[in-house]
Amino acid sequence: MNPYYHEASRITSYLLSMNAQQKEQEVYASAMEKLSISFSAYEQALWKSMMSSTFKMACIDAGLALTDSTNNVRRKLFTMLAILEASPNYTACFLSKEYSKWYFLKLIFVGMRSICRAMIGLLIIKIIKQRCS
Amino acid sequence: MQLNYDYIVVGSGATGAIAANALAESGVNVAVLDVGMEDEKYHSLIPNKDFISIRKEDKNQEKYFLGNDFEGIAWDTNRVGSQLTPPRNFLIQLADKFAPFQSDTFKPMESMAKGGLGGGWGLGCYVFSKPELDAVGLNYHEMQEAYQAVVDHIGVSGAQDDASPYCLANLKNVHPASSIENNLGGILTAYNKNKQALNKKNVFVGRTGLAVITKDKESRKALQYKDMDFWSDKDMSAYRSWMTIEQLQSKNNFSYHKNCLVLKFKETESGVQVFVKRTDTAEEQIFTCKKLILSPGVLGTARIVIRSFDYKKEQLPIICNPYCYIPCIQWRMLGKQIEQQKGSFSQLMLFSDEQKNNFDVSMASLYSYRSLLLFKLIKETPLNYADARIIMQYLQSSFTIAGIHHPERPSSTKFIRLKKDDLQFTGDVLTGEYILSAAEEDLNLKREQKIKWALKKLGCQPLKTIYTPHGGSIHYAGTLPFGNNNEKFTISNNGKLGGTKNVFVADGSGFNYLPAKGLTLTLMANAYNVAKKALKNE
Ligand SMILES: Cc1cc2nc3c(=O)[nH]c(=O)nc-3n(C[C@H](O)[C@H](O)[C@H](O)COP(=O)(O)OP(=O)(O)OC[C@H]3O[C@@H](n4cnc5c(N)ncnc54)[C@H](O)[C@@H]3O)c2cc1C
Repeated sequence: MNPYYHEASRITSYLLSMNAQQKEQEVYASAMEKLSISFSAYEQALWKSMMSSTFKMACIDAGLALTDSTNNVRRKLFTMLAILEASPNYTACFLSKEYSKWYFLKLIFVGMRSICRAMIGLLIIKIIKQRCS
Repeated sequence: MQLNYDYIVVGSGATGAIAANALAESGVNVAVLDVGMEDEKYHSLIPNKDFISIRKEDKNQEKYFLGNDFEGIAWDTNRVGSQLTPPRNFLIQLADKFAPFQSDTFKPMESMAKGGLGGGWGLGCYVFSKPELDAVGLNYHEMQEAYQAVVDHIGVSGAQDDASPYCLANLKNVHPASSIENNLGGILTAYNKNKQALNKKNVFVGRTGLAVITKDKESRKALQYKDMDFWSDKDMSAYRSWMTIEQLQSKNNFSYHKNCLVLKFKETESGVQVFVKRTDTAEEQIFTCKKLILSPGVLGTARIVIRSFDYKKEQLPIICNPYCYIPCIQWRMLGKQIEQQKGSFSQLMLFSDEQKNNFDVSMASLYSYRSLLLFKLIKETPLNYADARIIMQYLQSSFTIAGIHHPERPSSTKFIRLKKDDLQFTGDVLTGEYILSAAEEDLNLKREQKIKWALKKLGCQPLKTIYTPHGGSIHYAGTLPFGNNNEKFTISNNGKLGGTKNVFVADGSGFNYLPAKGLTLTLMANAYNVAKKALKNE
């Protein structure tokens, strides 16, 4: 199997908690070939860790969003995010909708989760950085 | 190929199209010389449907939303023109090659396309007030007739309200304003409630004058509210300069030559020689005409004029409106569903007229956000993408973007220079510097604070102010300032280039001042006047 298909699946399950369909896997593979995003040894190590679990992917992404938001590993995630948005299979995850007035409770939860993810992420990033230096 | 014409117009953008139209209507023989890039990739892929239907149904939407080479997934944050989507990218394609520009402090956008930047402009139309026209160097009375002629040609919609003195003033034949979307409609309601407090501080809000028709006009359809305006022009409701050129192409006295990069001109006994380097074959050609009208955009004209006068001028002044934008949260719109039928344009304007004299006014265009896609907003948050997606999906209906322009004047730290460089296609490269003085920056900051105060009064909470590099407003002027001594590197008030007999300039090169209001309607009106004066040989 094309290794990019596996990446596409992992990223989709992290971003949307859904499965990537074949079309989006193919588009991701084509994007990776065209954009040829290259990794340093440090980024390679980050990526390896992210690919080992969606939990680590979320934490490292959150940590980098605060400290190194243009890191190349985030570019891969961002590319997949754009691909998912531009697909009729995932439209419901991006278009606006009418929310109940209690939805802010979920947003508070998401905000807190995001902070926790960032704290764990910063720790993982620190360890990986130390290992690479 | 015919190489000899009565009139040659350089460029098919906002000004070139109007000048060519005015000339062709009078019956003279006109040619437009243009580089003329066109979109060959995307036009046919985009369905003639509304944004929501496309998003839900079209299995190939990534091809144009993201682009064949995924150029729509911009990772570079400081790019000027991020509003140019992949189907509009042809507008700036090859500009680096045919119009190279190098600077650390000035990042202008130039177009080599059929229709120029006028093929992707935001359509905001503003009549300059008398004090503004005086400062620019244009005749108020002559401009009134020209504004009307342009409005009749391109089709403009708008309303009579508090913004009218700053937008469409007393223009006639204006189409009714488009129906306002919920996001901006809420702001207008808030304005009407807080009008007294805002007006007391000289802040006025009202509907934007837009070059968008709301009634059918010849082959162009009234606005269909498909919200695909950043991506395609299927119904031709929004005016794009290429529409005028295509209309002209059916006339016998009009010719359009693409792949023609004009390098310079030389006046002869009988008229003007125009030196062209073909962009397809790099072959050189000489066209001749009785009169030459330059309208390749301010930077394009500067290049041609400097070369034609043998690089005799060290540097030319330039002005460009300082620009920043402020994303805001509009509380009353939180968690709402955005209506299916809407437009993508700025439908509402906010003017801060400090002296209440319609001069040195700062302006904010208000936009809602949807059709440029959510992933671009998600990228701007300091959160991980998965959580940011959930939060931004909720917030998106409440986003209002205020794009702020400030008025601008020339100074010794705002200039361009043309340097010889044999490695370039044109044999030279334009360089430049654009630095505001501390006093100018301070004044703009104060103006922004006032606008932020007004936004809060309107129920919009400003999040952060994002500054684009100088050049980001895409409003350029002032390289060959108006003056009446027939000196080289100036333009006289009949539009004639100083030091020449038969060369006219129809773009914004002569403007001595830039009001914050978008300049394009005024550019087009001036181009109309210049063409009329060239015909009369004034
Ligand atoms: C995204 C965007 C939004 C905008 N929104 C607004 C708005 O809301 N309101 C407003 O007032 N203005 C707006 N503008 C600005 C507006 O587009 C410009 O002011 C206007 O297009 C300038 O017209 P012009 O004729 O001088 O140049 P252009 O429209 O750029 O036309 C230049 C033409 O010259 C040709 N050319 C250049 N060099 C040569 C050469 N050497 N030889 C032959 N041909 C040449 C090009 O191919 C092109 O056809 C916007 C611009 C952009 C990009």
